[in-house]
Amino acid sequence: MNKKRAVILNTIIIFSFFAIFVRLADLMILNHKHFSEKAKMQYTKAEDIRVRRGIVFDRWGRELALNLELESLYCDPENLDLDDDNIKKLASVIAKKSDVLRAKIPDEGRFAWIARKLEPETAKMIKELHIQGLGFQTEAKRFYPGGRLASHILGFVDLDNQALEGIELKYDKYLKTGGGKVFFVRDAGGRTLSSGVDTEAKGNNIVLTIDQGLQYIVEKEIEKAISKWNAASASAIMIDPLTGEILALANRPAYDPNYPGKVTGFEKRNRAITDCYEPGSTFKVVIGLGSLEEKIVKPDTLFDVSKGGINVGGKTIRDVHRYSVLQFKEVIQKSSNVGSIMIGMQLGPERLYKYAKLLGFGEKTGIDLPGEISGWIRPPERWSGTSLGAIPIGQEVAVTPLQVLRAYTTVANGGFLVRPHIVSEIISPDGKVLFSFGEKDKKRVISQATAETFKDILKGVVDEGGTGKRASVNGNEVAGKTGTAQLIDPRTKRYSKEKFVSSFVGFVPADNPKLAIIVVVHEPKGQNYGGVVAAPVFKEIAEQALSYLNIPREDDHYQTSLVVSR
Amino acid sequence: MLRIDRRTIESFDWVTLLIVIVIAVIGIVTIFSATRPLTEGEHSPFYIKQATWLILGVIALLFIVSFDYVWLSRFCLPLYILGILTLIAVYIAGKIGMGAQRWLSLGPLSFQPSEFFKLIYIIMLSQQLSIINGPLRTTSLFRVFFLIVLPPFVLLIKQPNLGTALIIMIIFASLILAKGLYKKVAILFVIISLISLPFLGNIFWEGLRDYQKNRIVAFIEPKADPSGIGYHINQSRITAGSGGLIGKGYMNGTQGPFRFLPEKHTDFIFAVFAEEWGFLGSFILLFLYLFLILRGLDTARKARDDFGRLLALGITLMFSIYLFVNIGMTLGIAPVVGIPLPFMSYGGTALLSNLLSIGVLISIRSRRFYLF
Repeated sequence: MNKKRAVILNTIIIFSFFAIFVRLADLMILNHKHFSEKAKMQYTKAEDIRVRRGIVFDRWGRELALNLELESLYCDPENLDLDDDNIKKLASVIAKKSDVLRAKIPDEGRFAWIARKLEPETAKMIKELHIQGLGFQTEAKRFYPGGRLASHILGFVDLDNQALEGIELKYDKYLKTGGGKVFFVRDAGGRTLSSGVDTEAKGNNIVLTIDQGLQYIVEKEIEKAISKWNAASASAIMIDPLTGEILALANRPAYDPNYPGKVTGFEKRNRAITDCYEPGSTFKVVIGLGSLEEKIVKPDTLFDVSKGGINVGGKTIRDVHRYSVLQFKEVIQKSSNVGSIMIGMQLGPERLYKYAKLLGFGEKTGIDLPGEISGWIRPPERWSGTSLGAIPIGQEVAVTPLQVLRAYTTVANGGFLVRPHIVSEIISPDGKVLFSFGEKDKKRVISQATAETFKDILKGVVDEGGTGKRASVNGNEVAGKTGTAQLIDPRTKRYSKEKFVSSFVGFVPADNPKLAIIVVVHEPKGQNYGGVVAAPVFKEIAEQALSYLNIPREDDHYQTSLVVSR
Repeated sequence: MLRIDRRTIESFDWVTLLIVIVIAVIGIVTIFSATRPLTEGEHSPFYIKQATWLILGVIALLFIVSFDYVWLSRFCLPLYILGILTLIAVYIAGKIGMGAQRWLSLGPLSFQPSEFFKLIYIIMLSQQLSIINGPLRTTSLFRVFFLIVLPPFVLLIKQPNLGTALIIMIIFASLILAKGLYKKVAILFVIISLISLPFLGNIFWEGLRDYQKNRIVAFIEPKADPSGIGYHINQSRITAGSGGLIGKGYMNGTQGPFRFLPEKHTDFIFAVFAEEWGFLGSFILLFLYLFLILRGLDTARKARDDFGRLLALGITLMFSIYLFVNIGMTLGIAPVVGIPLPFMSYGGTALLSNLLSIGVLISIRSRRFYLF
């Protein structure tokens, strides 16, 4: 072999090595990141952490929403041994038609759900069929032991435990905390190589201010009312007037959150906070408190309402009953529209608007439930000529039942505007308190004297001669106000003659208020006055609630006779 | 015949032996990591088997070195006939392994005759070429081709053992060039090669099994990839590429042990090594190979006779081709051909025959000063 050929051969060899080094540098240095990521993608596997939502308790620790561990059936289509016979058997167990069942099974892939969250007996029957390629996975099904009870408060979750309404939605991030994915190291066969990874996350538990017993009473009574008056809908809220804690909140129609698929939009509405209405006379709390606070009137200031009507901006507003001369307190107690408008005129648009806003109208109360609306009240510069004849008596404004109730709690608690709330504590799975509502957002809006004076006036509403005497409670004094408002007919754009909203709002015991309650009934048939439709509901709720809470009667001497009569 | 004298020991090629042993030990260490159990369980005994073969192989190597390689030229014909016969035996009674008939069972042992045959073929070819005086004439070229090259080529294609068949052809072409041809013969050879290339290519292609065709298609057009063979290439690139400059560290590689990379301890062992030792480790390893090859070529240059020269060249070229095809395949610049990496890939027969080949090389180098 001559020297030239040897040199050529050596050159070829060295050049080949050089080519390999270049390629090596290309793969291992220049594109290292790319391949590194690809490798990581291969040997790591993400798995969803099984989230167990936190439990929702009422104020006394009674479970309102909890989890059931149910088994879900899936199949591995590649290993599935499902002949016609097996299909029939399986279909009969899970109560589905054979072709419906067949349609659920894809031709390829390794995983497909067949039936989710089966009853334990059904799961057992399927297991006894011994069909290859079927598997079970435990899933948590949200369970609401109360059924329809407190459904608008709790809300619900769908089949995949995604929160859709209520507390479930508002506090979703607390209830399902943790979650996300865990990463495992895996081999090419999919076997997990890492151990000791926590794949289950428990959510935080939530304690509500709700009292299940009171909630039951409220739901039962509005249920009764809605069937008695054949009403379209109804809402009732019970609140602790000193703290703003919601003790009960209910609407009709309601739904059973255990069957999320069957819930209709109409049933879902949490009307107590998401729907507004014209309040009518209950709104007179604004002119009442405003004029007392501004010292325009005293309880015995006289108003001549003998004409039975008053002309504002070319429009005449009339009283239902004709009176001659009424004291200020009688204007409220008898709910004279003419008198109220006179007071409103003395107060004037600016101050009227100011007190409406002070009492929280036109703004969200900030309750911790989803979907709350603010309602509206127009500022004075946008009032029409007739507005001063409408707003004092609760027209041309839109409010939610909760807003009205909150305005009356200022009378009950001596002048403070409370922040209504429904969650008292959030507790982590290991027992740490993550959040406690405590006492915040309590703001004085009117003087104590004004509140006391107006409270005495409201007591008269329930007395003989007042519009709300049917709300009077056996053994305890009630302070409250009736409201009757016409609904606007959507066709004629005028006030309807048949459709009304009847309401009563009040608190009890009047001098040591424990409970403030509002009852709003939409479109009762046959009767429409708040004093007739809503006041008795208030009475029923209040009497049972006081008894349930063991609140002593103010007239102690009655107690013995009551016990005896039982 | 047995000639171990002072000069043989003095001029013994310790360097080549040492490099080969170092590479083989690196191989065993890498096999150990590549086949390690992932959770609990026993370590696959591949590394122990390979170590045993290494020890046996080194003993066999020393045994070969103790003989003058001239001895090989005297016995090459019976060896060659034996080799051809075993290839035929494989064809008839071979046991199916790795999708091709390459294995032959002898009692408890099973071995791949084609591994040994390569060495026998190189010895035979070198001997036949060395006895011709002066450059090759057409007649001798054809004689050598039809008698020595074509029979094993056809048998290997039939196995099918695409890799070895190709290497037999390349070594033939290299050795006749090294031997030297008359210009006319060289031109004729080139013309015949060019004419028969599509023809041979067709026979070659038809002789391939579907999976082998797929490998070539997958290499030329990875996106077309008819049978997912691109998976191999892709996985070995990921394995090597994820190693980076300094590697993931010994026993920290993931792609091989986690079974993403197929043939991790055999054909794709370089990727496993690269993943754990990085670019720097791979560079050093390849440098050992480069040194070994250059020393082999140097041995060929310094051989005392034409037989030794051609033999050393043939053996060195065989290792070079194995190395380039294997590394090229691992790095995705050559098609996937089931060729092991010399001295490193797991496989007893291959390691043994490679060590025997190195023994021949050392024998040639150690006896370069001998004169008849």
